[in-house]
Amino acid sequence: MSGVISNNLRTLRFMNGEMSQAELGLRIGVTRQTIAAIEAGKYSPSLKAAFRMADVFGVPLAEVFQWDAKG
Amino acid sequence: MPYREKIAWLSLLAMLAVFIPYFTWTSLNPPGPEIPNLKHMALYAVTSLSWAAILGIGHLLLRRSSQDEAKLPMDERDIAISHKARGYAYGVLITGMIVVGGFMPFTNGGWEIANTAFFMIVLAECVYCANVIRAYRRHVA
Repeated sequence: MSGVISNNLRTLRFMNGEMSQAELGLRIGVTRQTIAAIEAGKYSPSLKAAFRMADVFGVPLAEVFQWDAKG
Repeated sequence: MPYREKIAWLSLLAMLAVFIPYFTWTSLNPPGPEIPNLKHMALYAVTSLSWAAILGIGHLLLRRSSQDEAKLPMDERDIAISHKARGYAYGVLITGMIVVGGFMPFTNGGWEIANTAFFMIVLAECVYCANVIRAYRRHVA
């Protein structure tokens, strides 16, 4: 099945006081490299990590990750 | 470079540094049929101990240079990378074991079987490390 998951992590980090990848990683329990891979769209996080990220930014999950079925 | 990638490099280089000379020497000077072949057993032991020593010292040095990262447990991506790499390594290992256990007893014997099994284990571990490194270098899981 095709489809692409995109995300707004970079924007959300910027809007939250230029939060670093390392700090976000620390808050959700993953490494800085994992955050970088997620941001670059090269790794799709688990549902639990995705919800944690949304929780850190105080936004719904759909504002962090988007699914494009045609992508 | 992530700590887990450094560990994979260390394991890969330690294996190549120790086992390439071992297998080269063994193929050029095949062990004799005498049992027990203490000379070859000693070489086998020295090779394995050298590998363990390089790995142990390397781990200590890496832990010292990356103390913060070394303390962190594997995160979900580290686990996914390791799991995927283990899948490739398992394919190599099971192929090797089928050859060693299923075919070689009918055509070969003694140290040839032991060294082929040893080689396939080393090869599987190299495949594991290479796939871990590839995943970290390409930022994929």
